[in-house]
Formats: sequence, structure tokens, C-alpha cells
Amino acid sequence: MSAAKVRVLALALCAGAAAVRVLPETFPPPPVASYQITCRLDADKKALEANEVLTWKNTTSRPAAALRFHLYLNAFRNTLSTFWRESGGEHRDGTLPDSFGAIEITRMTGPDGADLLPGLRFISPDDGNPNDRTVAEVGLPRPVQPGETISVALDFAARLPRVSVRTGYKDDFFMVVQWFPKVGVLEEKGWNCHQFHASSEFFSDFGNYDVSIDVPARYKGKVGATGQRVEERETSAGRILYRFRQQGVHDFAWTADPSYLVLEDTFREAGLGDVRLFLYLQPEHADQAERYFGAAKAALSGYGRVLGLYPYPTLSIVDPPWGAHGAGGMEYPTLITGGTAWSDPRSVLRPEGVTVHEAGHQFFYGLLASNEFEEAWLDEGFNTYMCDRVLKAVYGANHVDLDVFGLHFPLGIDIHYPVDANRRYFAVADWDVLASESWKFRGRSSYSGQIYSKTALTLASLERLLGTPTMDRALRLYADRWRFRHPTTKDFIAAVNDTVGADWSWFFDRTFFSSGIVDYAVAEAESKPAKPPQGLFEKDGKLSEGAPADLAKARGYDSVVTVVRRGDVAMPVDILLRFDGDHVYRTHWDGEARWKRLRVRAGPRLIEAVVDPDEKILLDVDRTNNGLRPEPDLRAATRWTARAVFWVQNMIDFMTVAW
Amino acid sequence: MSRGGPKALRCFLRGLALSLSKPYLAVALWLIQLMLAAALILPVGNQMHSMLDRSPAGEKMVAVPNYGWWETARREHPDVLGNFPELATGLLSTEGIRWSELPGLLGVGATAFSLAILAIVLHAFALGGTLGTLREPSSSLVTFGREGMRRMPAFLVFTLAAWGAAFAAYQWIYVGSGVALRARVKDLHTEQAALVVTGLRLLALALALSVIKLLADSVRTVWVARPDLPPVSRFLFGIGGAVARPLRLFGILGMYSVTTLALYLAWLVIDPSAGGEARLALGPLIAAQQVFVFVRLLIKIGYYAGISEALTRAPSPEYSYVAGAASPSDAQATGA
Repeated sequence: MSAAKVRVLALALCAGAAAVRVLPETFPPPPVASYQITCRLDADKKALEANEVLTWKNTTSRPAAALRFHLYLNAFRNTLSTFWRESGGEHRDGTLPDSFGAIEITRMTGPDGADLLPGLRFISPDDGNPNDRTVAEVGLPRPVQPGETISVALDFAARLPRVSVRTGYKDDFFMVVQWFPKVGVLEEKGWNCHQFHASSEFFSDFGNYDVSIDVPARYKGKVGATGQRVEERETSAGRILYRFRQQGVHDFAWTADPSYLVLEDTFREAGLGDVRLFLYLQPEHADQAERYFGAAKAALSGYGRVLGLYPYPTLSIVDPPWGAHGAGGMEYPTLITGGTAWSDPRSVLRPEGVTVHEAGHQFFYGLLASNEFEEAWLDEGFNTYMCDRVLKAVYGANHVDLDVFGLHFPLGIDIHYPVDANRRYFAVADWDVLASESWKFRGRSSYSGQIYSKTALTLASLERLLGTPTMDRALRLYADRWRFRHPTTKDFIAAVNDTVGADWSWFFDRTFFSSGIVDYAVAEAESKPAKPPQGLFEKDGKLSEGAPADLAKARGYDSVVTVVRRGDVAMPVDILLRFDGDHVYRTHWDGEARWKRLRVRAGPRLIEAVVDPDEKILLDVDRTNNGLRPEPDLRAATRWTARAVFWVQNMIDFMTVAW
Repeated sequence: MSRGGPKALRCFLRGLALSLSKPYLAVALWLIQLMLAAALILPVGNQMHSMLDRSPAGEKMVAVPNYGWWETARREHPDVLGNFPELATGLLSTEGIRWSELPGLLGVGATAFSLAILAIVLHAFALGGTLGTLREPSSSLVTFGREGMRRMPAFLVFTLAAWGAAFAAYQWIYVGSGVALRARVKDLHTEQAALVVTGLRLLALALALSVIKLLADSVRTVWVARPDLPPVSRFLFGIGGAVARPLRLFGILGMYSVTTLALYLAWLVIDPSAGGEARLALGPLIAAQQVFVFVRLLIKIGYYAGISEALTRAPSPEYSYVAGAASPSDAQATGA
């Protein structure tokens, strides 16, 4: 067989392998909370009417006497809600608009047809706020026994807010998320069903969703949702119904906008299967379609290779319109929202960064469904770490842009992954312990700096300490063990320990469970010509002044280097001394003591001393002090000073020329 | 040439020629600006030397602006850089400066604020000196100093009034419209439509600022040219001069703006600061930067000379300057 034929056959085999989705045996996972929902959108009133059938299984070992539901839309009911109080009227898209939303359950019946509605009451398990209506509890006529499955039917009406925080409308655009009564997660210790907070996301059980969406006919072909579209039919004059189904997910989101350009592409990679990609794009971003698709493919490939196959057949990407940025940058099972601007320069990776991040959430959140209320770092932080890896590998560095009266101009200044991209951590490094519940951070900047950035830098440091192959094995073990389940931090630590074969808990104690900072510095680096020895020396069996001739001539340089630990947190670090003639001395320091001194006598001249020369400990809050040279080099500071003087001269001239 | 007097282009070119004939004026302005800039940047420069000179990080910074390092410097030394970057960013935003940050100015931001006030005073002095010197056929730096001090009280009032008017225009036209339209802009269908709104707000602001500038420059010019008139008349003649020749003055201002923009564009395209050592060594780079500033100042003085040409080509009794090319129609048109 010729080489060409072999190549063709190999390609055909690859294509054949790619065409078949080899799903893991665990797919779909056993359903715990499944929903069948039919809803009708009143696009003019920005309202929904719906009925829902919840099929819920008690997977704990204790009977459940009541059910708890999230009613997330009630966060927007009025300014007394916990969300509104915590946010202070400011959130993702700036000031919250005076537009309110709410959800009301109008009927609820149990498995035997019993009317459950009279027993419905609102509770506030997190803060006791009597005005918060984002969690409801309803008593059951009889407890649900362990392993038993029940069905609850309910009707509800929802009024959507003007979109500012993930959900709502803008003109004819609808992003309908966290919109239906959703049962909490029953654990052995009881219900895990938190209120809607300003700084937290969500947590729920896996199940199967079958959702029918009835919209005005002008939305024909312009409705996207979690899962696969299985039906499209006219329901009445001027209305059309779309039905979507998806197994093995834990939420359902949908969108509709008559303006959408609906585009389709396919992700295909051997071993990672085929995924149909749907892009719901705003017309003014039409030239960014390939950037969106490219980023989604990069994510499915980059994450998939480390964490395993993305098991769903579709991934939808929603591009929110101008004025609805609050809906952007979010993740839902098999559906994500992007974020870009018409004037975004190509070198600024805005749509790429957002898309890779949100598509990455299909793994950290979608498949590894950790509790976003209590351990948000497990989804946002882990995802930021993986996102940085993918972006760095596929796109290189991001770039700074200057926003001039709303137009974005590239400045050609690199933002390196992961350190520069996560710089917000350093400003809030000691504000909070990372491992805190989402709503208990000092502020939103601390929440994002810790949850997203500190976690990413911690994992990137771990990767550099363990090596990328070991890190990838630990991540894969964690992902395989906990796919379609609810992992916790200790589960990840266990996966690391099992992979490494040693106890690395100390590392997490000092990072995840600490607010301490890391800062190593070279405090002293000097190199002076060695002096000849002085004093009394033995000569002919007698002590006499003056060194013998063979010692009297000094050779080389005496160098002294002092490395200090300025931060509270100790980490193992390397120390590198570079000498004239390319002589290098490298040593390892456990970093526990406050300082370490190195002396070299009669050696070559010291050029520089660097602590952590390979930049493994990315949590170090100040890398400028990580190295020191005996001889100063004035070029950088002089050049930047001259440049600053030049631009200030221009600014003064502009200021004075004007008036 | 029209009956209305020399056209804007001719005035602007004559102004440039006059500026080139008195280069010491540009030198004086250049020195003033250099000293102000140096006073502002010295603490930052020293801090950079202290952080970079002995750090291996410095070597990477010679040519390339290390974003991470700048972030570290800002974070570790708020006493030096303060919140100046936020203020500067606010100036360029669609929302405008957050004035609430002004009382909290730290470090170089606070220094910049006080130096800006000093710059206004020096500007009044330099402008008086420049306009006075431009009207003297034989003049020197001594004339510049004398005229500057002589006109300073009045020019300081004009400059402060112009600044006040400019600030009011920024606040009421640009910031005010931004606040009023904030919700409506979000309701627009596209970002492009929002940018058009921002563009219109900017255009309105630019127009208002141009009017303020031309009125102020006209008053200053007549103030110098007609010392024979009482102050109130000089002021009114100045306003009248601008009102009588709006197109000519706008034309000169437009040519000045376009020339300056072209100069900046050339600088950005040639980009002598980029590429570090490979493009230009430190000495030639600093020289190139200062030559650029000097050329820009020559054009600036050319603009003032052009305005002076447009408004007062006939000599005032006080000066020995006789414009050889002045025609009767020019004199009639300027009211001289």
C-alpha cells in the first residue's frame, strides 16, 4: 500500500472515529431532579406563564418532609431583597435599572393531587431577611422516603426585569435564565438551598429537561436554548412553539431575539467527538463570528484533552445586544453567553477570552457541578486557570486597549497569561480567605480577586511545582471521579494527593485556606574583590604577621546574597546566582525561615541573584524584588522617565494651547 | 484675496513664518514646559530607578512596556502614582471625570494638580510675552519677559475665565448630556448608534471649546495690539474681532489643529520610542522627543501669530512694526 493510500485511510479512520460520539458509560447520569416545562412568552408585557412538572428523587438516606425551591427571579422583586441590598444597586452592567421582576407560583399539587400551595412559605436560611423571597419551602403530605421518586406539578407566572444581571429583556431580546421554580439540593445534612446573593451563582442536581417555549411568530428560527431542538410548530395564529430536550444537565436557559443571525459550525476532533455549535449573533458583530466559533472550538479541545469528552451534542453561544451586557459572560448547560464590542480590536481577546471561559464552564460547573454558593473557586477559579492555559496556548498574550470615548484602540502592550491576566488578585491579596462562602467577601473586588484570580494563580503555581503532566493527571482523576456529581475542595486535594503519592495538603492550607501573602525578595547581592587574608600565619613552625606568598595574592570576588521572605506564607523556592563567565549556582530553599544567606568566597564576580528564577510561585505579590544585581543598569528607568517627561510636555501643551 | 482681508491659509502661513523668524519664543516655551514636566516626573523617575536599576526586571523593561510591572509599581507605591491614572482614564471615558476622586489625589496626581495651576499662571505670562514679541519687528527674550510681565494680570484673568468657561462647557455639555442620556444610550439598538451619540456630544463640546478659545485669543490679541484703547474697549474690540471674522479664525484654528494632528500622526507612525535599543539609542531618542516638542511649539506660536495677523495687521501706535504687505482693504476690514 502506498504512503498516500495509508494517509488517506488514516484520515478516513480518524474521520470515522470522530463521527461517532463515544460517550462515557456514566452518560446520562441517573436523574435526581427532572423538569417538564411548557411556557408562553408575552413579549410585549415581558412576562411568562408556565406549567412545570418536577420529578424528584430523594438520594439521601433520610426521609424528606418538605421541598425547598429556588425562586431566583424574586431577587429582582424590590429593593428589599437580599440581592439588591448586597449589591447596593450596582452590578455587572453598572447601576441596576428601575426595572423589577418576580416569580409567583399560582398552583402546586403533590403526587396524589394534594394542593401544596397553602403550605408554601418563604424562608431566608442565609441572612434571615424577611423580605427576601428567593427561597420557598413547602411541606409534603407525607415524607419522601430514601430512594423514592415523586412528582410535583405547578403553575407559575414570571415577570422579567430589564436585563442587568444575567436575566431579563432589552427591547425584543430575551435572556431567560434562573426563571423557573427549581428544587434545591438535598444532602445528608439537609437542604442546600441558598438565597440569591449579589456575589454568588448556583447549585442544583442533574436531571433531564424537556421544555416547550411558545413565542410570537416574529421569533421564528431565533430561539436558542439548552439542549437539542426537537420540535418546531405553529400553535396558533401568530405564535410558534419550540421544544428542547437535554439529558444529564442541571439547569435550563433560553434566549430569543428577532435580530439574531443564527450561524452553525461543528467542532470535530478525534477522541472528543462532534459538537454542533450554534451562534446567536448580533448583526453588528457579524464580522466576529469566526472569532466566536474559533474560541469555542479552542475551549472544547483544550479542556477536553485534559478533562475528558464534552458529552453533549450541542453548544450554543449567545451574543447579547448593545445595552444588555449584563446578560453576557455567563454559563448554562450547553448554552453560554459571550461578550464583545463592535469596536474591539482584533488583538484584544475580548470575545475569545469570554467565550473560552464560558465554554470552559461546561466542564467546571456543567460536568463537575460543585456548589457555587459555598465553594465558588471550584468552578470560577479552576475554570480561570484552564482558560488561561487555553488562551495562552492558542492566542499568546492578550493586549491592552485604550477606551477613548467608547472606542477601543489597541496599545500593543502584552498582557501575559496567567500573571498579568489575574493581576486583580494582588490588590486584594490579604483581604479575605479564599475558601469563604460567596456572599461573605469584603466586596466584589475581593470576591473576584480571590475566587477567580487567586485560585488560578494557585493552580498555576501548583502546576509549575508538580509539572504539567502530573497536574493534568490530577485534574483528569478529579474530573473522572466527579463527573456528573458535586465535588468539593477536599475531593480535589485527594485527587492531587493520590496522583502525586504524597500529602500536599500543606500547599492548600497556605493558599485556599489562608489570606496570607507570598513575597520573596533578594535583599542583598554584593560582590567585592576578594581581599588577601591578614593576621597571624604559621611560617616555619612559628606564628608571624602576613600571609604566606601563596595566599597573599587575592583571587576573584567575595559575594554575599541574602534572600528574605517578606510574606506570611512560605513556599519552596529556588535561588539562582549568576556569575561572570556564565557560571551559575542554583540551590533550593524550603522558604520556611525568614531569610537565607549565601556566601561565595574568591569566586567569579556576581552578576545577579534571583529567587524563584523560573517564576513558579505566581502568587508572589511583587516580582520586581525577586532579583538583585550588584551593578545598576540605568537604561530602563531612564528611558521610561524620558518618555514620561515627553508625554507630560505634550499634555501641558494641550492643556495650555487650548485656553 | 477677498475684501474681508487675508485668507485663513495666508494668515496661518505668515504666522508660521513669523514664528520661525523668532525661534527663541519656542525655546522659552519649551524650557517652561520641560521644567514643569521634569518637576512632575522626577519622583516617578526616582522611584523607577530605585525599583529597576538593580532588578533583573529592568532589563526586560528597556524596550518593552511590561504591563505586569507597571501594575506592581502602581500597587506597591500608591504614594508615588496615586490615582492619577484613574483620573486620566475618566477624562477619556464616555462618562467623564469622576470629580469625587479629585480631593483624594495622592502622589504624582496631587503634584500634577498643583503644577496645572502653576502652568496656568506661566501660560498667562508666556502668552503675553509671545503676543507682545510677535508685534515687535526687532525683539528678543528681553521683550518676551517684559511683555509677559506687563500683560500678566489681564492675561491671567482671561486664562482663568477661559478655563472656567471650558470647564463649564465640559461639565454641562459633555458630562451633563452623558448623565442625562445614560439610560437612553443603553436603550439604543447598536453600539454604533451609541458611538454616534457620543460623537455628537464630543462635537458639541469641541465646538464650544473652539468658540471659547477663539474669543479668548481674540481678546488677548487686541489687548496687545491696541494699548491705546481703554480696557473695556479693548475687551469689546476683541470680542467684536472674533465675531466679525468667525470663518477666518476657525480656519486658522482648523489648520493649526490639522498640522498638529499630522505631526502626532507622523510621530506615531515613525514611532521612535518603540523597539527599544534597536530603533534609537537613549541619547538620540531623547533628542528626537525634544525636537518634536520644539517643532510643535513653533507651530503653536505660528497659530498665535496667525490669529494676530488675521485680527490686527495694522500697527498700534505703541509699536514700530509696519506691515509692508498690508492693503487698504485689510486695514478697513480690521477696523484699524
